Amino acid sequence: MLPALAMLAAIVVYPLVASLVTAFFAQSLVEPGRTFVGLGNITELLGGDFWRLLRQTLVFTVGATVAPFLVGLALALALNTRIRGRATLRGLLLIPWLVPSVVVSFLWMWIFNANYGLANGALEALGLIDEPRAWLASPGTAMAAVIVAKTWASFPWILVMLLAGLQTVPGELHEAAETDGAGAVQRFFAVTLPHLRGIIGIVLLLELIWNFQHFDLIYVMTGGGPAGATETFATAVYETAFQGYDLGRAGALGLLWMLLLLGMVAIYVRRSEREGQL
Amino acid sequence: MNNNLSRRDLLRLVGLGAGAGALGLGGVAACAPSADGPTTDTAKSATDFSFASWSLADNASKAKIEELMRGYGGKAGVTVNGVPLAYNTYLNQLTLQVRGGQFTGAAQMDIAWLAGLAALGKLRDLGDVARDAGYTEAALSSGQVDGKQVGLPWTTAAIGLIANRELMQKAGVTTAPATIADFETALRALKSTGVIPYAASTKVAQLKDILIWMQTFGSPLLDGDKVTVGDDASVEAVAWYKKLYDEKLIAPDVERVDARTLFAQGKAAIYDDAIVGRDFVVKGSPDTSLADKLDPIARPVKNAGDKPRAVQWGHAVVVVEGEGANTASDFAGWLTSDEQTVLGYFKDLSLPPTTSKALASEQVRTDRFTAQFSERITATATPNPFWKYPQYAQMETAISEQVQAVLVGRAKPADAMRDAGRAVQALIT
Amino acid sequence: MSKRSARDSRGSRAAAWAAVAVLGGFGLLPVYWMLATALTPAQQTFRYPPSLIPTDLTLDNFANLADEPALARYLFNSIIVSVITAVLSVVVSAYMGYAFSKFRFRGRRSLMYFVLSSQMFPQALLLVTLYALFSAYRLLDTYTALVLSFTTFTLPLCVWMLKGFFDTIPDSLVEAARVDGASRLRTIHSVILPLSAPGLVAAGLFAFVRGWNDFIFALTLAGREKTTLPPGLVNAFLGEATAQWAELMAASLLASLPVVVAFIALQRFLVGGITAGAIKG
Repeated sequence: MLPALAMLAAIVVYPLVASLVTAFFAQSLVEPGRTFVGLGNITELLGGDFWRLLRQTLVFTVGATVAPFLVGLALALALNTRIRGRATLRGLLLIPWLVPSVVVSFLWMWIFNANYGLANGALEALGLIDEPRAWLASPGTAMAAVIVAKTWASFPWILVMLLAGLQTVPGELHEAAETDGAGAVQRFFAVTLPHLRGIIGIVLLLELIWNFQHFDLIYVMTGGGPAGATETFATAVYETAFQGYDLGRAGALGLLWMLLLLGMVAIYVRRSEREGQL
Repeated sequence: MNNNLSRRDLLRLVGLGAGAGALGLGGVAACAPSADGPTTDTAKSATDFSFASWSLADNASKAKIEELMRGYGGKAGVTVNGVPLAYNTYLNQLTLQVRGGQFTGAAQMDIAWLAGLAALGKLRDLGDVARDAGYTEAALSSGQVDGKQVGLPWTTAAIGLIANRELMQKAGVTTAPATIADFETALRALKSTGVIPYAASTKVAQLKDILIWMQTFGSPLLDGDKVTVGDDASVEAVAWYKKLYDEKLIAPDVERVDARTLFAQGKAAIYDDAIVGRDFVVKGSPDTSLADKLDPIARPVKNAGDKPRAVQWGHAVVVVEGEGANTASDFAGWLTSDEQTVLGYFKDLSLPPTTSKALASEQVRTDRFTAQFSERITATATPNPFWKYPQYAQMETAISEQVQAVLVGRAKPADAMRDAGRAVQALIT
Repeated sequence: MSKRSARDSRGSRAAAWAAVAVLGGFGLLPVYWMLATALTPAQQTFRYPPSLIPTDLTLDNFANLADEPALARYLFNSIIVSVITAVLSVVVSAYMGYAFSKFRFRGRRSLMYFVLSSQMFPQALLLVTLYALFSAYRLLDTYTALVLSFTTFTLPLCVWMLKGFFDTIPDSLVEAARVDGASRLRTIHSVILPLSAPGLVAAGLFAFVRGWNDFIFALTLAGREKTTLPPGLVNAFLGEATAQWAELMAASLLASLPVVVAFIALQRFLVGGITAGAIKG
């Protein structure tokens, strides 16, 4: 396993460190040479775009974690009953999670299309809007639209995890609670939720960490637009490096981003240690 | 397998990683400029090569380009490998691939992008190929960067306004609007008939279209080395664009692709496009007589009597040094100057040729749309002053993003254009 | 639990149905819409309001894809890269997972955390240097570059999954093999691996899917030759042509099919595999 670890180090740790080092230089992707600028890139960011990016990244991260969690939880509870065809349904509901993120993006771009989209057609038919909207082109709705797409793509994973957790809830506990006169809602909060706490914690934390660095959907669906309204750290770093060719700024963005991410990873490690994961 | 991994092993591992890191860093530093220099092809005879093209990523033009590639391949006894890349990501993808050595061969280029790609130092000087091919002077200069013939001109024309005559007449607009005031009146009349009056670009990808409006309002964009974006005329142009946006005379979420679709479906009356647009909208339309309703119109002017503005537009073919470059150069020459080839290209995709002889041919002279387009739009076309800078793509993005911020209400025209001007100036110096 | 569900009150059953109807609709309607659009003649996608049930059905959109030579190349690359990534990840992570599960050595925990957390490093950031690194070693646009970079995110997950599996194999089995005189490697190969076949399949499939779905690495590290489907589709379709929604949905369907089919076929291994590590607790 040493070679494997060495490989991981060579293609994960080294690149990471090297990318972060560029934070202190003025360096271009397409032109040779670089000059040391100290904290210049970082202070420039902190005085400019950083806070906007942080806010937007947080909105996306929290939105794209909470929404699929709620959808997944509701479905898990529903599918944990004896309704007919639940095995088939559970299988079918996995599809959104399997579909490549690029396809998810295309599909939702099509649904949210301003001129011919299904979303406009449906909402208009339901009388919820009175004229077609440009969902992905308005700063007010673009982020929400991307979060909807991400929700669609990630709820199945949460559903599967929670369903597996639900099936370990001992039936006797519920029976005991029922004998004590607890209703369905009370039982959920008194029995089910406490039992699932561990798994919910891990699921939420992993989703937070993944969403915090999510790239694909945002890049394909909006490219960070309109007017930067859906830009997050991930798309900003990529575009700064590979479209603006400004490695110094990209590195600086990355450095600040990594610091935040490390905090989350630390929580994760703590938590899984407590749960006795490893 | 090791069963007792000690801390020392771990340290060794870290050392290894750091070592590899140092090595890699050295490697990166050494190779970053990737000084290949002009490579000479080893084989004198024809070799297989790649041809990158956004027309290969378009349904409307794909078949024709493939036919041309096969045609050359059959003639020279080689295989031409097509690399389809969509227009919006084209320059970025190609730049990365050329820089990283992932791409060699021939490539289609927008003349606006030549300086940027040439700055990578890997484009072949095609002066020898161009010398006796019979291109017009104007066409030749569109393929030059700093006096070097980095591209062979494939087609040249301009970007202008194209109208649907039927929809215009339905709205009671019978003469082409000459001034901006007339234009606004026409747009309002069109709006009352329920169509999108003017499918102008409102997405970042093609918001470069605003530049010609800034020029129309009187901004030179560039004065010597000084960027004038942010001057009164450019602010006025953007404020006007915003007004059209708010009054829904132009629509949100539109770029060239969307504009063509809307126009082809008869949902938009006017839009901006190059001469190539005819082919897209006609082939993409359910209306079989759309070709006869197309009307290229001169861009309205600020004050009656001004000369209408139009931005030059064209495609060139460049050759990236490396494997297959010799054959690729020959291909580029054949593709852009062989009379049969260019006339066939004109016939199928309505892209005007660049050689004097082909331009003088019966077939080109008698095409009504091409003649009108040339007379009303191409006649007064000028290149965009920013094209000469390798950073053109980033300049375009900087301006487009600020204009979009204005459109969606996130910034005031004056502030946004001042910021855009500064950003562009910073890219030059 | 069956007893409990048998006694589900009428109210909660209705709630379950409502949730399934609304949220299941949210989950499945887009899938249906992708299928429906892919089967709709291209011109009819420009109707507004769109009709949920296509009036005419056609396979033209798929036929158009068939004469797209580049698409076939992307498909081929996707298969090659994902399969190699899957095999490599499973082989490497079987040994690593085993070591983490059955050996006791100092620093085991820290190493395990390192492996696990390495999948959490932002890919966009890694790319900045990976691109330069692979460029320096002339590895851009090679399968090697893609497989190596894909492994950075498949390996941690596979190790995690397989370690979970190995943990469920009693140490006594390993001891027994030892007593019979089998070497460590032999123990792994003849005792442990056969027992963990479901885990290996799950991990391999997981790696395959992640490799198949990758966008950002292939977008940046591949080039004219080795581009895989996701960046290939983006580069080919977000383009200058009239928006080809019907054809795009057909291509999307095609790109999704392999993973969906594989997953459904091997589902019984998977649900266990995905959740194994997490539930055990």
